[in-house]
Amino acid sequence: MSDEEHHFESKADAGASKTYPQQAGTIRKNGYIVIKGRPCKVVEVSTSKTGKHGHAKCHFVGIDIFNAKKLEDIVPSSHNCDVPHVTRTDYQLIDISEDGFVSLLTENGNTKDDLRLPTDESLLAPIKDGFAEGKDLVVSVMCSMGEEQICALKDIGPK
Amino acid sequence: MQGFPGPLPDLAQLQSTMVAIERACSLIQMHMNPAEAEKIINPLRQSSMPYQTCRFILENSEVPNARFQAAGAIGDAAIREWGMLTNENRKSLILFCLHYVMEHASAADAYVQLKVSAVAAQLVKRGWFDFIEAEKIGILIEVKQAILGFQGSDMQSAGISFLESLVSEFSPGTSTGMGLPKDYHEQCHSSMELNYLKEFYCWAKSAALNVADKIVSCYANISEEKVCSRALRFMFQVLNWNFKSSPSALDNSSSKSNSGSFGIRPDMGLLKKFERSLLEPGPLWHDALLSSGHMLWLLNFYAIVRQKHSSDMLWFDSPLAVSARQLIVQLCSLTGTIFPSDDGEMHIKHLTQILSAVIEWVEPPNIISGALRSGRSESEMIDGFHALLSMATLTSTMLFDNLLRSLRPFGTIHLLATLTCEVVQTYVIKNDDEQTWSSEALDIMLEIWTVILGRSGNDMKISAEGISSASNLFSTIVESHLKAAAESAFEDDSEADYFHVSVSRRDETLYAYALIARAAVETTVPFLTRLFSERFALLSQNNERMDPTQTLEELYWLLLITGHVLTDSGEGETVLVPEAIQDGFSGVTEELQHPVIVLSWSIISFAKQSLDPKMRNAYFSPRLMEAVIWFLARWVDTYLMPIDAAKGQLGISGHDEGLQQHPQSSKKVLLSFAGQHSQGETILDTIIRISMTTLTSYPGENELQALTCWKLLVVLVRRRHVCIHLVALESWRDLARAFANERTLFSLNARLQRSLAETLVCAASSFKDLETSNQYVRDLMGPMTAYLVDISSRNDLKAVAQQADAIYMVSCLLERLRGASRATQPRTQKSIFEMGCAVMNSLLTLLELYKNQSAVVYLILKFVVDFVEGEVAFLSAKETSILVNFCLQLLRIYSSHNIGKISLSLSTSLQSEAQTEKYKDLRALLQLLTNICSKDLVDFSSFSNDAESTDIAEVIYVGLHIVTPLISLELLKYPKLSCDYFALISHLLEVYPEKVAQLNKEAFDHIVRTLDFGVCHQDVDIVDKCLRAVNALASYHYKEKIAGKEGLGAKALSSEESNGEFQQSILSYFLRLLIQLLLYQDFRMELAGSAADALFPLVLCEQDLYQRLVQEILEKQSNPAIKTRLASAFYALTSTNQLSSSLDRNNRFRFRKNLQVFLIEVSGFMRII
Repeated sequence: MSDEEHHFESKADAGASKTYPQQAGTIRKNGYIVIKGRPCKVVEVSTSKTGKHGHAKCHFVGIDIFNAKKLEDIVPSSHNCDVPHVTRTDYQLIDISEDGFVSLLTENGNTKDDLRLPTDESLLAPIKDGFAEGKDLVVSVMCSMGEEQICALKDIGPK
Repeated sequence: MQGFPGPLPDLAQLQSTMVAIERACSLIQMHMNPAEAEKIINPLRQSSMPYQTCRFILENSEVPNARFQAAGAIGDAAIREWGMLTNENRKSLILFCLHYVMEHASAADAYVQLKVSAVAAQLVKRGWFDFIEAEKIGILIEVKQAILGFQGSDMQSAGISFLESLVSEFSPGTSTGMGLPKDYHEQCHSSMELNYLKEFYCWAKSAALNVADKIVSCYANISEEKVCSRALRFMFQVLNWNFKSSPSALDNSSSKSNSGSFGIRPDMGLLKKFERSLLEPGPLWHDALLSSGHMLWLLNFYAIVRQKHSSDMLWFDSPLAVSARQLIVQLCSLTGTIFPSDDGEMHIKHLTQILSAVIEWVEPPNIISGALRSGRSESEMIDGFHALLSMATLTSTMLFDNLLRSLRPFGTIHLLATLTCEVVQTYVIKNDDEQTWSSEALDIMLEIWTVILGRSGNDMKISAEGISSASNLFSTIVESHLKAAAESAFEDDSEADYFHVSVSRRDETLYAYALIARAAVETTVPFLTRLFSERFALLSQNNERMDPTQTLEELYWLLLITGHVLTDSGEGETVLVPEAIQDGFSGVTEELQHPVIVLSWSIISFAKQSLDPKMRNAYFSPRLMEAVIWFLARWVDTYLMPIDAAKGQLGISGHDEGLQQHPQSSKKVLLSFAGQHSQGETILDTIIRISMTTLTSYPGENELQALTCWKLLVVLVRRRHVCIHLVALESWRDLARAFANERTLFSLNARLQRSLAETLVCAASSFKDLETSNQYVRDLMGPMTAYLVDISSRNDLKAVAQQADAIYMVSCLLERLRGASRATQPRTQKSIFEMGCAVMNSLLTLLELYKNQSAVVYLILKFVVDFVEGEVAFLSAKETSILVNFCLQLLRIYSSHNIGKISLSLSTSLQSEAQTEKYKDLRALLQLLTNICSKDLVDFSSFSNDAESTDIAEVIYVGLHIVTPLISLELLKYPKLSCDYFALISHLLEVYPEKVAQLNKEAFDHIVRTLDFGVCHQDVDIVDKCLRAVNALASYHYKEKIAGKEGLGAKALSSEESNGEFQQSILSYFLRLLIQLLLYQDFRMELAGSAADALFPLVLCEQDLYQRLVQEILEKQSNPAIKTRLASAFYALTSTNQLSSSLDRNNRFRFRKNLQVFLIEVSGFMRII
């Protein structure tokens, strides 16, 4: 690798480049992919050929990581697909305001107040209940292609 | 009825129960509120002495379902309460059922009668050893009279159906559980076989004979035909019995020794493919099956009736026809000592007799298949094929061929070939949906060919006529398939997973084709060469003027069949050149004239064309290339530098050695042309360059690249003497260089990179010098570790790491490291360990960094698992402690990220994905602990210094402290995970129980909770492991106590919880739990042994509690009869068999016996409500 060193672009704003191209044939189940402009988690990959003696193509089934919709795509396996940058950041939960916004403590001591609670009851309940019980909660916020959502919850002990 | 058990309730009560049951049954039938209905019906099944009620329902209810339930209840209750019933009671229950069936023989709703009949059979079996012989005969005599037809044909049917139930009840495979040891079923089985089975067969036979005349002369009514077909079906059932007492099964040697002389083979275990078995009833059956002209009668009977119905296309599927044919086919597989030792004369006569009848079913082939196309049922032909299969299995190939010669001017193999041609031709057309029979027929045909051609030595001599038939058949097969291939070339590849799902089936078919080809190698190999060259030439002349697709598909198919003809699949075994090919071509002494060599060269030079980019783009489609790679992989394994040649000696195949001189020389030519000192190296070089091409010039073709990595390259490094040549080749060094230093191979799927790394590292073992081997690995993997270290120490790591390309890169590197560590061998262990050490810190950083990228986390864990597995046995004390510390750190970091984490997701499928990921992680962690554990068992390290050595048990328990909180009962529902987990736990508790005492309370409680969960698990294996763990715990505690030590200490003692609730000690808890399980739940007898082992130390530890528990259980029991029985059973459990209070082996064994007796005594009636 020495002769052909690869440099990852390090940008101050990591979100600037929202996706990265990757050959379709190397994308595996459980990876991420952009289908119809939406960031998806790949839940199924199958390959087939275009005619018996044609080239391989990949058939992806993905689930939109934010709205859980199922999306499908077929790409020739030597072509590039867009792979979204998906990051998860942990914040401590400070407060839940009445209008449905949460207040989170960032690493450098500021607060982040622009994130709404999820509307779906099944996601909402564990957060609200845990907070109401006075537990010390850390939430993971998933961020991709300009969207953000709380995706996990961790109890780090009672207050 | 005399002796009918149970108190007689008054009429009103009977009526009301009946009405309630009837209502419940109709609820079930209408699928309304089944739970409610069950609540009404279950008490009937579980109550004490429900017989009068059931009888009342059976005799009076108009609702068939209610009668059905009542019959079932009689069976359940009687089996459960058997011990409490008097002999009179038992007999009268059986007779009641029998009479009921007979009296209602012609009634509607046959399933009720069947159920009653089955219940009667069950009870007869339960009492088989309680009744004296006269009593049994008394019961059976009624059945006999019914069957012989004195009371009309309905009674005959009813009698036969009772015998069917009885025989299936006595066959271990179909018997119902009775809460008795397996032994009991075995005894019943052999008692039935010795005393009654043949008699039953004869009853059915005479029933069939009775009505046969009427059927032949067309006077029979429907119910008489029914009797006949049922009788034949029952006879078939009897002949499917698994005969045990036949002496021939034991006395294999004598039959083997004379098999050569007359051609009857004692082949066991064949026929399994179609779920049929050989029939070996032993000499006692001689009169019933052979000497009484039974066979002749049956064959004639079928032939005459068949003649009469020749115009009726549906008749072939009628019950009478089907059961008669089944019986004939089954009799065809008759073998063993039933035939006298007359050099097989009688057996051969028997087979010829059947063949003369069966041949009518399959001959002439073209007429038959014509009739099938116009709608006739194929069942008769298929049965005929099955009969042929049985014959082929039981005879040597020569005898099989000769069987037909007394009837026809040609041999059986010729007939078989003609039949197969017909079937193959129909099979490849396939587009007709109605011709589904061809696939089944082909299966059987090919099985016959596999049987007669897959043998070795004298059993497989074929006549010249047979060889030419095989040759013709092979031509037909190849031509039909080529035609089909050309026609299907433009179809879309609808089967996406062609190479995985149907591949084994296709290979099986091709293997059978290959056997046919090998039977006539002299003609079939040149034939294949000709076909291949024709198509190759067609491509070369083509000049892109026409679409080559059809030719490509033909070549594809030719490569597959040629690969099968020339090579065997091996599957991990050492592959040899197939015998037929080694021994064939006896006249050939020149390398360039040997047909196999000619064929091989023409394919290799064809494959070589793919190196030319122009040719590649025009003709070498991914699919064709897949076949090329597949072929090369098999060919290399067989012909390239073969082992025989390498050792300078020729294969010893054990026969005709030194007989002829010529085969030797042709064999020598064949084995040496691709040898080490011949063109072997050139071919190897070509193959590596072709592999490189598929890896780099077919981007995204995963199937092809997977075949290259998993099949071809793996084969290249499998044999050491090939590897020596390999690593010296420039092309191999190019491959290694590309892997280590260039980016091209990063575009492969990451899994394939893992395999590539494994293969490349594997080749290191061929260097003579240890240091060179290690240096080779360092050169190969050094850049990877350097790169990984570099990434993880970047200043802007946080910003860069989450980018998709960085993640991809890290994943590839981890896969490569994992591949390398999977290839660890003693010679390369040192450099691989260095590789691992170099990245340890980076891995911890990455684990921290990628805590939210589950895919990367999993890769890290899996690498460590494989790394530890490969290395742990070799490490010195110091290295071990480095490794172990690293693992513990890894566990800590993983645990800190995941404990208490709940992932939230809108989508259930994403949620379950997250759950699965977690499960896979944990499995990896458990594997890691298990691997570390193995250090205590297998240790190859040269010196050990006690001061520095790590206490593995200590480490594992620290590991468990970290891992167990992550394992929720929810996750233990994954079978593999729970299996791993409980295997680890029971191993640990058995080997290091003393460490348990040192666990903190929380961790200990967690382990106990999981054990508690496991003991009540469904899976027998898991329960067994948990019982072993409990046994280990309790035994340890007991032994320590006796020695005056603390044992489990505070953990074993009862203690007052802070909230005032009384907390049981864990041992008493398990004692309670086990007794509960044994007495009140459906306990599985196969666990009795381990349950006894666990219970015994528990009882010893907690004597007082045990006495109290027994007292409690007895007091709860209101029925005095049961109470006394129970008390004496409990007494016997701990006091008989000179049981003492030590935990030695003898004592445990005694307790096992006691518990078994105890369970038989009390199980069942404790479950009565």
